[in-house]
Amino acid sequence: MTTALKPNLARCIWTSALFAVLAMLVAAAVRQILGMDPVVQWSTLVVVAYIFGAVGFIVGIGGFDYWWPWIIGKDIDPHDHSQHGAYSWRDYFKFNTDHKVIGIQYIVFTFIMFLIGGMFAMIFRAELANPGYQVLSDEQYNALISQHGVIMIFVFLVPVFAGIGNYVIPLMLGAPDMAFPRVNAVSFWLLPIASFTLLSSFAFGSFDTGWTGYPTLSEQSPFGGTLFQIGVIIAGSSSIATAVNFLVTIVTMRAPGMTLFRMPLLVWANLATSALVVAATPFVAGAMFMAMFDREMGTNFFTIAGGGSAIAYQHIFWFYSHPAVYIMVLPGFGIISEVIATHSRKPVFGYRAVAFSSAGIAVLGFSVWAHHMFASGMASWLRVPIMISTLLIAIPTGIKIFSWLGTVWDGVVRLTTANLFALGFIIAFTIGGLSGVMLAVVPFDVSITNSYFIVAHFHYVLFGGSILTIFAGFYHWFPKVTGRMYNERLGRLHFWIVFIALNVTFFPMHYQGLMGMPRRVADYAPEFGWSNTLISVASFALGASTLIFVYNMIHSARHGKPAGANPWGGLTLEWLLSSPPPVFNFPVTPRVIGGPYRFGEEGARHAIIPEPEPAETEKVGA
Amino acid sequence: MSAAVEHNAPEVQPYRTGLNPNLMGLIIFLVSELALFGAFFMYYGHMRFIGKVDYPGAFHIPANETSINTLILVLSSFTAEFALLALLKRHNAGVFFSLLATFILGSIFLGLQVHEYMILGFTPQDTAVGSIFFSLTGLHGLHVFVGLVLLLLAMIRTCTHKWTPEKHTGLLGISVYWHFVDIVWVILFTVVYCLPGTVTAPA
Repeated sequence: MTTALKPNLARCIWTSALFAVLAMLVAAAVRQILGMDPVVQWSTLVVVAYIFGAVGFIVGIGGFDYWWPWIIGKDIDPHDHSQHGAYSWRDYFKFNTDHKVIGIQYIVFTFIMFLIGGMFAMIFRAELANPGYQVLSDEQYNALISQHGVIMIFVFLVPVFAGIGNYVIPLMLGAPDMAFPRVNAVSFWLLPIASFTLLSSFAFGSFDTGWTGYPTLSEQSPFGGTLFQIGVIIAGSSSIATAVNFLVTIVTMRAPGMTLFRMPLLVWANLATSALVVAATPFVAGAMFMAMFDREMGTNFFTIAGGGSAIAYQHIFWFYSHPAVYIMVLPGFGIISEVIATHSRKPVFGYRAVAFSSAGIAVLGFSVWAHHMFASGMASWLRVPIMISTLLIAIPTGIKIFSWLGTVWDGVVRLTTANLFALGFIIAFTIGGLSGVMLAVVPFDVSITNSYFIVAHFHYVLFGGSILTIFAGFYHWFPKVTGRMYNERLGRLHFWIVFIALNVTFFPMHYQGLMGMPRRVADYAPEFGWSNTLISVASFALGASTLIFVYNMIHSARHGKPAGANPWGGLTLEWLLSSPPPVFNFPVTPRVIGGPYRFGEEGARHAIIPEPEPAETEKVGA
Repeated sequence: MSAAVEHNAPEVQPYRTGLNPNLMGLIIFLVSELALFGAFFMYYGHMRFIGKVDYPGAFHIPANETSINTLILVLSSFTAEFALLALLKRHNAGVFFSLLATFILGSIFLGLQVHEYMILGFTPQDTAVGSIFFSLTGLHGLHVFVGLVLLLLAMIRTCTHKWTPEKHTGLLGISVYWHFVDIVWVILFTVVYCLPGTVTAPA
């Protein structure tokens, strides 16, 4: 077989082009046969090309190679591991079924997207450094803030947790892999397509609506707006597939003895998150489909002239997008519980309360969506019930914060970089949580809605919350993934720059918002000049700190000192394996004999891996 | 990559939950499908029951004809179940013809739906209610179409004698999917065609 026929990125190019062109031709031909104008508008055909190009990409990368014999009625070999595991760096660019490879693919890819999204923020912070117009026009400014939001949310924050979960969860459960390794690979490879779709909207006039894409504004934006909708749908299907996979893995693939209340809290957090994704993400897909039909097929869901309702979009959109906030932070809560317990050498305080609070957040998360719409003109009787449910959700979140503080209290706290990020997270997330409680109160929200106070709030929650947990997780599991230690001195430098710059960047935005500076506008009143200059300088420091992180990770992965199997003295199953873990994880089935956080008990163990019998491991062709 | 490397996966016994992971994955996926329909039902409810927006212009919602069509689809759920019963009796021809009957009933349903689209008297472009009517029924039609393709694949595998009473998760999954499509239709038919006040006479 030549290279162009094997499942790889080269085959992707021609298969996606072929599928795109064929789909366009078929669509035009069907319309011709039905006696309609074959090309209703050129952009509709481009939509068809994008969607089927995505299918072609998955075919090209090899997503259906395994299933093809099944489709034509032949046997498939369930023990075919030919696509499993990475033996050279090239395997990371292929369709790979190993959850550890997929985890690394996810993390590296989404981190590149994080850098791109951060770059957009740097550009518009340069614009905002002084009053008046510096480098951007209004349209370019709006395009950049919209791309910043969408890239960060849909192809960084949501999938990066899927990446960390992918790497760690099967190891923590004592499983050989995820329940559906091939679905897992497909859901990773949907992400590059989603990112390409979102970024390519720059070539089609971009979209300038903010990440929410509200009609009727979104119905007036150029064709880039449709690409935003397709990109979100593709990213959403990727996260649904991953969530199904996590749920089935967590329920059916636990090692013997791993009862529900012996699961590490990261697993609990991902269980709750996956349930949220499965139930909520289709709603954003529905909203995006309707908005796309309006734009490309002339339907009237949200057009006022056609009797549609723009408020309906907001209801459906936020019915997903509020739970999405928890999708973006619950797995981070799980990471923090792991990191703080391990680095403070204490059992998690109130294990069951934390586990149930994740479930509580997942359930309550569905009843609070309309607090994003207090000022939108929705039915006014909805305001007070939504305010109450929003205030209620502070309770399970507060339980978690008390649990972390109780875990740190009186522990043997080691200020490693991972733990510094975890402790910094508690401070920053509490600030974001408190401004969230303020925003839940209807009169306060109505008076400061769409101001920089909102920007300050959700950046404290998403940067101070999610991204600090992501860094904590990166530093915590870096020795496990690479087998080497990172440079602790550079790590601490990274933390302190991030933590100080984060607060200097986002804290003054509270003040700006209270003084009435509106968001999503390129220019502002001169009295905000000094505070914006300060914010811009701090945000550049924040951007630069990422370079330290990237250098530390790349350099340490090659030259760091060997980490050994268990540098942190963790008790969960992944620390019982070598670093990096073997290709098929566990040589024999591990047995779980106790809780996951039995720090401080003499000789306490969470699990044991029995000695493998020699005959078992020598077996070839099983 | 040598052949030895490819096949040295150790046998690891997972926790015994007694659940079929494939079936469980399918059911969780169907929950998310239900949520996708939920988004469209949410819009429908918002427009029709809260906003009281009516169908566009002169229209004809053939509720009676569609009841017959609903019966056809419900019947096809039974034939899909007959395929599984036949399989348990190792009656391969019975499996095939049950699947074929399901396929034909499903095709008739889809054909009648397309026919209904032609006689409705309005298009997806006619006001918001026209859009949501076509989207709800069209989304369901798309699922019926996918189900028909899956039934076709099941028939191919029946011809090559791939299902056994012990190992037929694929067939079970396809029949579960088909029941799901059926149940969604019954809900859709009730909400869109039958609820009092949903189909009012044109003003």
